[in-house]
Amino acid sequence: MGKIKKIQRKGPPATKRPPKAARTESTDSALGLDAHSDLEKPATSSDDGFEEPTPKPKPSKKTTTLPEPVSIIAQKKNKFRTDDAKNVKPPTLEEMKELRDTRNLFHSNLFKLQVKEMLEELQLKTKYTEYIDNWMESFTVFTQRLKDGLVEKSQLEVPLNVDKKISGFIFSKPTKEPQLIGAASTGTLLGPKIVVDVALEMPKDCLHKDDYLNLIYDQKRALYLTYVTNQMRSDPAYSQDKFAFNYHGNNPLKPVLELTPAAKHVSKHLQLRLFITAPQSTFKPGRFVPWNNNIRPTYYNDEWDEEEALPSTQHYNASVLFDLTLAQNQALLDKAFKGRRNFQDGLLLLKVWLRQRELDRGFTGFGSHILASFIVYLNQQRILHQSSSSYQVARTVWNQLANTDWTNGITLAPASGQTEQLSTIAGYYDVCFMDVSGQLNLCANVPLGVYQRVRAEAKLAVDLLNDMKLNSFPYIFMQKCPLYTRVDNILKITNYSSIQQMLVLHSKPQMKYDFASYGYPQLLQILTELLQKGLKQRVQAILPIETVSSAWPVESKAPIIGQAIQLGLILDPEHAYEVLDKGPSSNDDPEGSAEFRKFWGEKSNLRRFQDGSITEAVVWGTTKDAPSKKRLIVRQIVMHLLEHHLQLDSKDIQYIAAELDLVYQLSPWFKVSKVKTKLELQQDTDAEALSPNVIRCYDDLARQLHALDDLPLEIVSISSISPVSRYCEPMPVLPQARMMADHIHASHIQRVIIQLGQSGKWPNELSALRALKTAFLIEIGEKLKAQCRLNWSITSEGLLVLKRGFCFLLELAHNKELALLKQEVTERGVTKYVDNPESRALEQRHYILPKVSGALHSLHQSHSAYGPTVLIAKRWLATQLLDDGIWPPMATELLVAHLYQQRNAPQAIAAPQTGFMRLLHLLAHSDWNGELFLLNFNSSWQEQQIGDLEHSFRSDRQSYPPLALATSYDQQHAGRLWTTGESPSLRILSHVSRLARHALEMIETSLQSKDLRFVRPAQLFRGSSEGYDLVIQLKSDLVPNALSYDLGSPFVSFDQPNYLLPRAGKDPLAAIVHQLRSAYSDYAAFFYNPHGGKELAIMWRPPAVFAPKAFKVTELQACTLCDKGKVQVVRETLVEDFKVLLKDFYLRISTPEELKREQREHQNPKRYFNAKPQDNESCSKSKKRKLAKAAKVQAPLKRKSLIKSRPLKSLS
Amino acid sequence: MEEIEGYTVVPLRMSSDALHCHSVYMREHFIRLMDPNKPKGRTLFLLNIPPYVTEESLKGFFKRAGNVESVQFAAKPGKDETIKWYEGTNEPFSNVRPPFIFKVAYVVFQKSSSIGKALAVPSIDLFHSSGESTIKTGMELWHEESPNIWPTTTEESERAALAAKNSEADADGWVTVGKEGRNAGFEQKESVIGRLEKKRENDTKTKELKNFYTFQIRESKMQNIVEMRKKFEGG
Repeated sequence: MGKIKKIQRKGPPATKRPPKAARTESTDSALGLDAHSDLEKPATSSDDGFEEPTPKPKPSKKTTTLPEPVSIIAQKKNKFRTDDAKNVKPPTLEEMKELRDTRNLFHSNLFKLQVKEMLEELQLKTKYTEYIDNWMESFTVFTQRLKDGLVEKSQLEVPLNVDKKISGFIFSKPTKEPQLIGAASTGTLLGPKIVVDVALEMPKDCLHKDDYLNLIYDQKRALYLTYVTNQMRSDPAYSQDKFAFNYHGNNPLKPVLELTPAAKHVSKHLQLRLFITAPQSTFKPGRFVPWNNNIRPTYYNDEWDEEEALPSTQHYNASVLFDLTLAQNQALLDKAFKGRRNFQDGLLLLKVWLRQRELDRGFTGFGSHILASFIVYLNQQRILHQSSSSYQVARTVWNQLANTDWTNGITLAPASGQTEQLSTIAGYYDVCFMDVSGQLNLCANVPLGVYQRVRAEAKLAVDLLNDMKLNSFPYIFMQKCPLYTRVDNILKITNYSSIQQMLVLHSKPQMKYDFASYGYPQLLQILTELLQKGLKQRVQAILPIETVSSAWPVESKAPIIGQAIQLGLILDPEHAYEVLDKGPSSNDDPEGSAEFRKFWGEKSNLRRFQDGSITEAVVWGTTKDAPSKKRLIVRQIVMHLLEHHLQLDSKDIQYIAAELDLVYQLSPWFKVSKVKTKLELQQDTDAEALSPNVIRCYDDLARQLHALDDLPLEIVSISSISPVSRYCEPMPVLPQARMMADHIHASHIQRVIIQLGQSGKWPNELSALRALKTAFLIEIGEKLKAQCRLNWSITSEGLLVLKRGFCFLLELAHNKELALLKQEVTERGVTKYVDNPESRALEQRHYILPKVSGALHSLHQSHSAYGPTVLIAKRWLATQLLDDGIWPPMATELLVAHLYQQRNAPQAIAAPQTGFMRLLHLLAHSDWNGELFLLNFNSSWQEQQIGDLEHSFRSDRQSYPPLALATSYDQQHAGRLWTTGESPSLRILSHVSRLARHALEMIETSLQSKDLRFVRPAQLFRGSSEGYDLVIQLKSDLVPNALSYDLGSPFVSFDQPNYLLPRAGKDPLAAIVHQLRSAYSDYAAFFYNPHGGKELAIMWRPPAVFAPKAFKVTELQACTLCDKGKVQVVRETLVEDFKVLLKDFYLRISTPEELKREQREHQNPKRYFNAKPQDNESCSKSKKRKLAKAAKVQAPLKRKSLIKSRPLKSLS
Repeated sequence: MEEIEGYTVVPLRMSSDALHCHSVYMREHFIRLMDPNKPKGRTLFLLNIPPYVTEESLKGFFKRAGNVESVQFAAKPGKDETIKWYEGTNEPFSNVRPPFIFKVAYVVFQKSSSIGKALAVPSIDLFHSSGESTIKTGMELWHEESPNIWPTTTEESERAALAAKNSEADADGWVTVGKEGRNAGFEQKESVIGRLEKKRENDTKTKELKNFYTFQIRESKMQNIVEMRKKFEGG
């Protein structure tokens, strides 16, 4: 939807406000505010500010019609002017009406303005409408010039694949003029690619009355199309245009001509499609009722028992009827839509909505012509009024879609026209919506799953509109939600032989006749039935994901389509991961039991359960399995079913589920057996499965803390604020923290906030208070040691406690500290409390984070995919070299929480991988400038508050950070607490958007391609090495590797990993990078992978920063003297600084290209900065040795690693 | 010796073989309003000091020009910049550190004769004769930082801090009267004052009829419209 651009919030157009007009008695009565307007009722045709169905008197007219009370007003006006000239202007009738209706229909003016603006943008430019009109004129002339005659073999291929071809087709020239159909006719063309449909009717002469049988009609139709195409190509008016054939709606029986005009000004966005239809009277009316057979088994050389009734071909019949009834249907639509801007706009809105959801695609798509017909239907049923506004049209359609059931059939035909029993017809189709002729089912090809999906989406749209706490516009219209991001797992079968095998062995002959041997719908039916039966309530919906067939040049042969299938599975998280499928009891229902056994094959066993029942059952795992393993149960079942029933080998099938979950698994390099612990650990465990261990240990610690005796003050509350406690820590946390030489060493520390009971004796001075806090912590530490035998040590941040191999950092929170930090004394001696960055950080850590942590924890309890989604997202950001300093980790967590909390899909996400893809979508397509992400936990914010916040956000955008996040717990800091102007900065934000778009592109290509497998994690989870100016390689033995699955660095190949335990809470690399950023961010940007990355990538700021400039005392930072009294920043000097700061850590500095070249050539790596040829090798070596020596003295703990480093380097 | 606009420019070297060095711009410190901590004639003013340079290292270097009384940093030249720079860093139990950015330095010598000597140095060398840097960076720095950052034992400083609060009569015989005591008065807080003012306002306000006269009704309707406009059009 490139066409719908960001809708800027604009003030109301100036013209809208009428001039100061008469304030008549009627305005006063209008002020009575009788605010009742039922939205669903068509009778109240209230105007909501959209284009009026009937022209309205202009306000200017109004003033002229009511000239009398002017003299009175003159006085009054003056009176009001004294107040506030702008706002207190007497209202006009129109304004009153508009204001009131806006209030009744929308929560805010914003939605109205946005919709209005979108519709304005969707309006077709006049150059297109003019072009279409001219084209139609010339085409009509062209068709009149056509001559009758026998169709010889033309140089064009007939765009149809049939087994038995007919010969001797005689072309007769059309007797009726070609007509615009579909969107072009109803005036609802939608960009960015405008497709204009034109129908040309074959005259009756071309067809015989027996042509209904065995695809003869379709062949004649195709021949007719070919002939017309041929003639057009030789006509000078069209010879420049681009001709191609395509299948309409992926239906191989419906070839259409796609014509891209050569005219420059339209060729980019305009396309014309030519349909061939036939007059309705060609065949006998009852010929194509659903139960008739029009393709005989003999056509496919099949035997058919004479006695048996011929199988019905309802889908084929509908395909022919589509052509026959087209004119009549179009006439009906035209009648309803022509000249009614409100209906047209309503349909446009619905079309946008449908297209963003990709539900209108392909053979099984819920096309927009169904929606158009439905609007007519609602109008007929008097549910939609002629004068309903476009918003009401859309809303009513959604409401009716959600609340009606078409499976029993609805019909457009008048009572007299509907000759056959509706329920009988409905029995032949999944969904039934009869057209005006009473013969064609408009929804013939729509499977039940797709229809249910449309209904669910419609229901969601209504819910979103009703949600007063939300501006639903972006969710309904702007957000692109491709189907693959809405399904949890995807089954993809593209293997030719498997497809053929299924069609030949498992498709019923009746289905073959019904779909005229088109493979796709048959496959769909076979697979859907089987999976639905096997997965039962594990799955909420099975949806076909179709790719639209691509056009082919008219000279080449028509391709065979439908040789691949992709199904999306939406899982029900409540049932999908059950490990057991129980059959009927073998005693009570032996037949059912046998059938169950037959269905499941060897997997089914007779089992005795605890309640004494003995039944057949299938077991897919144990209840103790890790969640990531359980998520693969559905995959297991599907694979088994396909193998057992359809004899498909697992290598012929692609089942896309949990491929990316790999990234938070424990690295295979790390051997779990080396960890000394009482816990049972598996080698193939992951961060998600390990989190509960930490949480359990924390719970124990909390219990012990509560139970401590003799503390001067009671511990009131203990809360954990570490990501682990909300399942958001992407690194597997193993119990390996330990005491070494009086220091605690741990890879992670878990932060815990303690609050003590009230006491008035706390000092009123910051340092005294902090001293007392420290004393308290020491007291707690000593008590823990004495009573619970836990090791502890005190640091400047808090009390480190070691328990069962996990390390906790206890902090004391006290209100007074916060107050003292905020305290300021004004000149008058009055104490004021003002937020400052330090107090904000403290408040966030001590008071807000515990609450948000709790809320996110409970979010994970209700959506078990939340945690793992965050894990994947954090890993992804880390591998793109975005560390916590430039992208706050809480931003990731809250954005993912936003995805799970906002109901932007009818079903909750059950698979983390899907969650991650949706996050990528969010990152790639969000309008950061216009959107504030609000997490209204427990709905504790009121409408008014939300309104105020959004108002302030929009009117004062500059004061908010580029990415604005707010939760319901941080009201006074709303939008400014979790992110700042620097993290993430605007630059980083757009960088992330770009990365996300790139990742999505990769995912989409792999999904759409027939041959490619799903994207490998290594493709997504390894950053690009391009765009960086310098890479500082760090010594690999000084930086511990991440415990999670490492997919490699963008710069160098794998090295021997090390898993050294750093001192608890110390991350020297992060600290140095922080220093570098604070000192040098004006000149360079720094990137590294916080998950064990061993390179620091540097990007210089634009060259202007390094240009010579005049001497100014205040702007001398980092400047060296250059010629002519000017100064400039020299990059080499800065590099020297980096080296100083990274002393002992850096191995060498080079450009990424050099590094790559060296990696390729496996050269002996040069030790030092290459750009410095004078750097003499021996000197640097001796210096290095000295440094190593120094480091040894300074850091005895690192001795082992440093010694180890030498042979390591000599290896490379 | 290079000079620019009255500043002497010297390189700041971190090692004896350093090629690319930062330039430090120095001159005698002189402004009209002198700061007692930066006495006239004895203070050397240095511009563009790299972030990692410490007070001690500069002090150590400038010893060769004469005894150094103190070295102070600031983010930029200016009156209270030095105070701002060190704000909060000297308090016990505080994790506040001075910012890590390019800065200016004031070196105060004991004798004014040292200034000339200092301005004559060819380069500022921040390394020992052995070649080792006088500034700790990298691994050294991060390993040295011990968890016990406070100088005295915790209990002592705690006592000291608490003692500071309960001050008795000071040297001049003045006693600080706090909010303790019998007649403490109200707290001089913004919220308290605000509450009091509001109360007074409410008291002075007479009870008035709000929806009685026609003009009042008309005005309230007007107000209604204004609010609606604000809600649906404004923003």
